[in-house]
Amino acid sequence: MRRKMNSRLLTGLIITGLMLAVILLGTFWTPYVPTAMKYGKFSPPSAAHIFGTDNFGRDIFSRVLKGSGTTLAIALSTVSIGALAGTLIGAVTGYLGGAADEILMRLNDALTAFPSFLLALLIVSLVGPGKKYSVVLALGLVFIPSFARVMRAEFATLRGRNFVTGARLMGASNGRILLIHLLPNTVRVLLPALTIGFNNAVLAEASMSFLGIGVRPPDASLGYMLSEAQGMLAKAPWYALFTGLTIVLLVFGVGLIGEGLQMQDREVA
Amino acid sequence: MRYVLTRLGMLLATMLLVSFLTFAAFEAVSGDPARNLLGTEATEEQVMALREELGLDRPFLLRYAEWLAGFFSGNLGVSYSYRQPVGKLIGPKLEISLCLSLMSFVMIAVISIPLGIFSYHRTGGFADWPRTVFNQLCMAVPPFFTGILVSWIFGILMKVFTPGDFPGFRQDFGESVRHLFFGAVCLGIPRIAMTVRMLRATVIEEMNKAYVRTAISRGHDRRGVLTSHVLKNSMVPVVTFLGQTLAELVGAGIVVEQVLGIPGLGRFLVLSISHRDYPVVQTIVVILAFWVVLAGTLADLINQSIDPRLRLGGNRG
Amino acid sequence: MTKRISAALLSALMMLALLSGCGAGNGTPAPTATPAQTEGGAEAGDTAAKAGRAASNELNVGIAQDFDSLDPDYMTAAGTKEILFNMFEGLVKPNAEGEIVPAVASEVSKSEDGLQYVFTLREGVKFHNGKAVTPEDVVWSIERRRGGEDTAAQLAALAVISEVKAEGNTVTVSLSEPSNEFLAYLMNAYILPAGYTEQETAPVGTGPYRFVSRTVQDSLVLERFEDYWGTPGKLDRVTFRILENNEGLILGLQSGALDLVAHLTSDQIAQLDSGEFETAVGSMNLVQALYLNNAEKPFDDLRVRQAFCYAVDKQAVIDLAFDGYGIPLGTSMFPSFSKYYDGSLTDYYSHDPEKAKELLAEAGYPDGLDVTITVPSNYTPHVNTATVLVELLKEAGVRATVEPVDWGSWLENVYGNRQYQCTVTGLSSDNMTARKLLERFGTGIGNNFTNYSNAEYDEILAQAIAAGDDAEQTELYRSLERNLTENAANVYIQDMADLVAVRKGLEGLTFYPIYVLDISALSWT
Repeated sequence: MRRKMNSRLLTGLIITGLMLAVILLGTFWTPYVPTAMKYGKFSPPSAAHIFGTDNFGRDIFSRVLKGSGTTLAIALSTVSIGALAGTLIGAVTGYLGGAADEILMRLNDALTAFPSFLLALLIVSLVGPGKKYSVVLALGLVFIPSFARVMRAEFATLRGRNFVTGARLMGASNGRILLIHLLPNTVRVLLPALTIGFNNAVLAEASMSFLGIGVRPPDASLGYMLSEAQGMLAKAPWYALFTGLTIVLLVFGVGLIGEGLQMQDREVA
Repeated sequence: MRYVLTRLGMLLATMLLVSFLTFAAFEAVSGDPARNLLGTEATEEQVMALREELGLDRPFLLRYAEWLAGFFSGNLGVSYSYRQPVGKLIGPKLEISLCLSLMSFVMIAVISIPLGIFSYHRTGGFADWPRTVFNQLCMAVPPFFTGILVSWIFGILMKVFTPGDFPGFRQDFGESVRHLFFGAVCLGIPRIAMTVRMLRATVIEEMNKAYVRTAISRGHDRRGVLTSHVLKNSMVPVVTFLGQTLAELVGAGIVVEQVLGIPGLGRFLVLSISHRDYPVVQTIVVILAFWVVLAGTLADLINQSIDPRLRLGGNRG
Repeated sequence: MTKRISAALLSALMMLALLSGCGAGNGTPAPTATPAQTEGGAEAGDTAAKAGRAASNELNVGIAQDFDSLDPDYMTAAGTKEILFNMFEGLVKPNAEGEIVPAVASEVSKSEDGLQYVFTLREGVKFHNGKAVTPEDVVWSIERRRGGEDTAAQLAALAVISEVKAEGNTVTVSLSEPSNEFLAYLMNAYILPAGYTEQETAPVGTGPYRFVSRTVQDSLVLERFEDYWGTPGKLDRVTFRILENNEGLILGLQSGALDLVAHLTSDQIAQLDSGEFETAVGSMNLVQALYLNNAEKPFDDLRVRQAFCYAVDKQAVIDLAFDGYGIPLGTSMFPSFSKYYDGSLTDYYSHDPEKAKELLAEAGYPDGLDVTITVPSNYTPHVNTATVLVELLKEAGVRATVEPVDWGSWLENVYGNRQYQCTVTGLSSDNMTARKLLERFGTGIGNNFTNYSNAEYDEILAQAIAAGDDAEQTELYRSLERNLTENAANVYIQDMADLVAVRKGLEGLTFYPIYVLDISALSWT
């Protein structure tokens, strides 16, 4: 039986779909060469440059087109690492408890306390500079602890529920219980955490560019552009406005989908 | 008693683990403290001599053992950059950062918990859209923007405080607290939005559970059900999340500290890492670890009192 | 029902009140501000802040990095030397015209053979602790820098001293070989109380300002030294506030917390209200260049280096990344060292991408080549220059990428181990000698991180250092500059502009040919 989609999910899907289309377009075509510095410094938005130009005279719209893809790729892979590893740790520690719980949670605490700046430096030193994936690795690791903690609490709560005891009595294996019975029930916590994580990843990526991991100039990512733009607020407010708006739309779309999915879920129940 | 002992053991284990990891990380990271101190004009001989003086030429494990011995006898070492005892340098920063984090945390807890709980109704309708948009926006605005906006509105236009001029608790306690309050606001905004979002989601989820519907259909007061059953079940992930927030707050203040000119621990940590000032970094990291374990323990304790089934490992307690 | 509504209302109000920062994006200017808090009020507030400090004759200066040491013999960061200049002096010191003038010594005489300097101590020079400076203090201070027990405090250039002796009111310094630059290096032998060990926490010198307090990573407070031997400072008290974040500095200026910030970018200056601040433009006195690793492929080939020089349009870099502020350079020397500076070298390689392509083809790169520019990421101007270079080099078929690294890694890998292809940085001289700028390109010199090696250069360098005659020495230094240009040792770009934001009403800011900020001449009108 088909149900009507709720308005949040629909809006979220439309926004995200549009953003994806734009990103796809950006990989094939941009109105100008995104790195070319010949369009006049700080020209305000006009018909020729709808987002204006930046401090080097580059077309901001072209850079946003090009940069969104990179940003999305980095944010998605970062959040995936954090969420996958976090859920796994959370499941093992929360459901099983005991020694595995102790050891993993101590590692988790240590990772929370470990400065992300030092972690990033460490990864640059280990895998060598200029590797695109090092930023994903560094940020992914940084994101594990918060996912792990929240998921652990969730698995621990669910562990004692009647349906789990029931499944166990019927002879279901631990793996089956975790996967079929528990995992779907963690969605209520996982979804907001994913949205929040995605959001953080977009912004955190910018702070990593300065360590030589992630995007390198003259290439752009939205986070990097936004951090550049914050120093030019008075002179070129459009720079911060349009890059900021793109980030907000990207994050907003994903957030709405998350919220919509949750509601949809509720309506079924 | 046994519980306290186990927790203390865990605390110790985490602090050891994190200090060892940090020590090991500095071994692998490029950049030499001696060269950093001497700058670009130094001769190779000077660098060598200073390395020797700082004891950097000795084996890694030996240096770690020495650091540990020092730590447990209350000697935190001497900062390479400042040639002053680490404890003396960190003390004032820790004070400021603790105050900032606690203020921010109280703000987050006091605002987001009631907001999250009482915003569960009127879901999905169009009237609810502004809330969704506002909430998502607060999560999406980067911290340095909030920092700049808050300083601009409250600092430059309204003159409630002076960004870039943090007086220090000893000089002017009131002004310092006011300064930190705005820092706490910047730190708190995205986290309040996150917590509200998470709490609201879990409350709604729970309210739709069969047992709640049954209870309400049997004529129980909706509010009573909410406070007696629903809250219990939806608070667990939120308390955990808040615990994690508290753990991360102390180290997370860096951007806000930089923009508002607050001399806190976050700024000091990042600067000490770039100066390769190991004794300072080492101490800060251990303090952070202590804080993380403390926050985690608190969250666990609260959760266990909410839901006794959460006592992991069975008969502890 | 009413309860529910009031709860919702309350929560909405709370959100609004607390999160008004978020709401500003909606486009509606917050009408909540009462008239007193609008523009006029803000201005009045600023004037009040200024008037407060002007009335108490104080000044707040914003600086971007903490002091690496308050013991002048241990300081290495340019930013530290810049400020501690106000607290410490040598027997001689620099003035704003670039001359070396007597300070703690009142008179200097040099022997015929240039091997002996006799310094007569000035009458009535006192340390900040109130004690008079004795010849013993001077001997102790120079010995500490020459070869004291701690190598970190040593100044390599003072190794030329063979003996320091006190006699009555004079100090005699003997050299093992004549050196024209000896006095310039002696400026950095600061006169400190003999045997004093608390310099790091309670520094004591002889300068016009003395130490009051310091909070690590936050501030340094100085006050006027009333017993200063020379023209005393005009301001009573000066506070240096450390704000390593650019926005923090700008917000500090706007909020009235700061009165003066140096080394800003043109973008930052644009953020400030011109009714409240004036911009002083000086020069940073450093040679910003794309420094090439002359020992590594592809820059071991003269043709490639020359091709890069032809490919880069210096003025374009200055226009694109620095809003036109900056003086193009063609060699390792800048205009304020006018005696040595040879301006004709600036256009030695005129901008010619075609010629660059030809040279690259000759060198075996007909299809262009890939290079990596390593830059220290904490220096935005250098990162910006590198970003523009990538674009400019494209014209000549060079595919360059920028690699930002943190300062510690840059020091170790680029400066120390010389593992890099090319890098953008700025080199300066802290003692007004050409030697400091040129000696580093000699074969086998410790800080020759470009690995430049040229037999002719080494020969002239040795002659120049040994030269007793000043005119002859100057000529030799000039031929070294020409040698660097002709062999395209590096792609020279510019002497960066120093943009200083100064609150209106503050006057007396003077630029020196070296990197110092003299606060003793500043005053409120």
